[in-house]
Amino acid sequence: MKKLMRWFMALALSLVAIGAVGAQSVHAADDSLAKVKAKGTLVMGTSPDYAPYEFLVNKNGKNQVVGIDVEIAKKIAADIGVKLVIKQMDFDSLLVGLETHKVDMVLSAMTPTAERKQSVDFSQIYYTASQDIIVNKADAKVYHNAESFVDKKVGAQTGSLQADLVKKNMTDSKLLGLSKVTDLILALKSHKVEGVVAEEPVAKAYVDNDPQLALVKSGWALDPEENGQAIGFTKGADSLVAAANQSIGEIKQQHLIASYTKTAGKYMTQNTANTSMWHYWQYFAKGVGYTLLITAISVVFGLVLGTLFALMRLGHNRLFHSLAVAYIEFVRGTPLMIQVMFVYFGLGLFLDIPALTAGVIAVSLNSAAYVAEIIRSGIDSIPVGQTEAARSLGLSTRQTMTSVILPQAVKNIWPALGNEFISLIKESSIVSIIGVTDLIYQLKVVQTATYKGVAPIFVAMVLYFVLTFSLSKVLGHFERKMQHD
Amino acid sequence: MTKPLIQINHLVKKFGDNVVLNDISETINQGDVIVVIGASGGGKSTFLRSLNLLNVPTSGEIEFEGTNLVGLSEKALDGVREKMGMVFQQFNLFPNMTVLANIKLAPMKVKNNDDAAATAKAKELLAQVGLEDKADAYPASLSGGQMQRVAIARALAMEPDVMLFDEPTSALDPEMVGEVLKVMQDLAKSGMTMVIVTHEMGFAREAADQVWFMDQGVIAEKGTPEQIFTAPKEARTKDFLSKVLAQ
Repeated sequence: MKKLMRWFMALALSLVAIGAVGAQSVHAADDSLAKVKAKGTLVMGTSPDYAPYEFLVNKNGKNQVVGIDVEIAKKIAADIGVKLVIKQMDFDSLLVGLETHKVDMVLSAMTPTAERKQSVDFSQIYYTASQDIIVNKADAKVYHNAESFVDKKVGAQTGSLQADLVKKNMTDSKLLGLSKVTDLILALKSHKVEGVVAEEPVAKAYVDNDPQLALVKSGWALDPEENGQAIGFTKGADSLVAAANQSIGEIKQQHLIASYTKTAGKYMTQNTANTSMWHYWQYFAKGVGYTLLITAISVVFGLVLGTLFALMRLGHNRLFHSLAVAYIEFVRGTPLMIQVMFVYFGLGLFLDIPALTAGVIAVSLNSAAYVAEIIRSGIDSIPVGQTEAARSLGLSTRQTMTSVILPQAVKNIWPALGNEFISLIKESSIVSIIGVTDLIYQLKVVQTATYKGVAPIFVAMVLYFVLTFSLSKVLGHFERKMQHD
Repeated sequence: MTKPLIQINHLVKKFGDNVVLNDISETINQGDVIVVIGASGGGKSTFLRSLNLLNVPTSGEIEFEGTNLVGLSEKALDGVREKMGMVFQQFNLFPNMTVLANIKLAPMKVKNNDDAAATAKAKELLAQVGLEDKADAYPASLSGGQMQRVAIARALAMEPDVMLFDEPTSALDPEMVGEVLKVMQDLAKSGMTMVIVTHEMGFAREAADQVWFMDQGVIAEKGTPEQIFTAPKEARTKDFLSKVLAQ
């Protein structure tokens, strides 16, 4: 059996390797522009937490990504003659999204650093901004520029140019990397960090909208080549890059960035006109809806698959037994976060799976492993006499399992299953990293839109509690109904 | 008039190196009521459970109604087992079902009887074991004696050709033994073929056609109750009986 396990591991690893190699070799001939034209859509990946470049507004009850980068992308799409589609992801995941063809291009105020250039191609630079540091207003007199932060903690977005700049230019400061600017501002306000490095327009947006914050100039003299922003493309997508460069040329010639910035500014004031949490109830409601949807589907599939795996593990077929053991051990031995990313990006190499589907698949597959173990323990807890009695009455193996053993097992494991379902509500929150608009995701959206850090967290916390508490009440009701003795 | 229902040929059962059944060859005829007695660990239960292959023999043959059961597929065995009712020491009622549902389960699942027919039959059997008022009770609310009578009714619902009893009264409080033995005695009178492993010597004396004394994996002595209880031939039979009857 051990041998078999090793064999499965080797198989899994080689599949991943084949996938990786496949991804590299796809771009031998450049048909990127033709492909975009053929499918009629240009897919832009972005992390919309970076006003005024990209952020979310509620337009006619629907979440919409807007900002300078979006205006640029619209122009490129219009110039090519296709429709623009926007996919939201964490900033960290954007380049992976490019490599796995989830998106055609990345516009997320991204700087074409040498490291990034190794894995993706960039357009010419469309905007250059200076770097500023956001501080608490009370500290504005203490800090004058980047030099003032010796032995202090400074925050920057993980994987961003700002993080690199802190590492390079502020060697006497400690860097705290978080994936969302909103979280960084929270860290600043609670003095986890003393300053947050951000591009000027972004920094200004926060300071303008929050009287507790102030702006400090970094004082860095930066080469525009390592400071400007460009559009990322899959390596070798030369025709698409050329098309984008042509549009960028026109934008520069006609000074369109200024008007784009104005448009973005209008959206920002609309966003911050009313920052009460009630005003954003639709966001939270939508988040709760998705969280419940993901949980409900995953519970059903987790239960069906989990039962199947439990029976395979308990059965006499050695191949099925080993498969089930390998699956259960592997899934329980890896974090759900990795599994979500693997399904979305890894399987995404072969299949175009939407983020919601990928999230549901990953959470279901994860839950199945845990449910399988719960069901197995439930089946093991039924005395062997029950099986003997059923078999001696002429019931087949299958009838014995479905009519006699499983109903009793379910009763025994109901509390444990209930716990699994409840934890699923909470753990499904991890799907927000691939852009599924669940409650956690909406919490971050509201944070970004309102420039308020704590209030949305509190609302989301209460909502999660209401969900889990109601579910545990419902499960308790069924548990009491099943008691006969 | 007598014809063999179960023919046992050279039955051997080993658990590892431990020989529990050592080359047993016997015949059980239609209508026989056979009581198997013997000290604990003598192989009585293993022998009984080999008859419907709940314990798979190491070697030998169990011929039931002309078919050798050893080596049959599980599927084929399902068809045989429904004709061999079994009653267990621990009753093994299904605790999540009512008494009625316990009895109806197999007739409906295995024989595809419709609900009305199965219910009618179950009620008839409950009346036979004196528990018609307990149809809707759950097992946990019954006494041990009542549970064992339900278990007997459940086995009878499949209209078996033989009933196997594995120490049916051993887990009962003394005052409940009688009610179960009474049901078994009625069953014996009705002509049912029965194989009973028990320590109830009084029952063996009254109800059995034959008493088999098992010791160290073999049938050491067999005969009518009269022969075994009043004139045992083997020294170990005498030894066992003197210990049991002295109590």
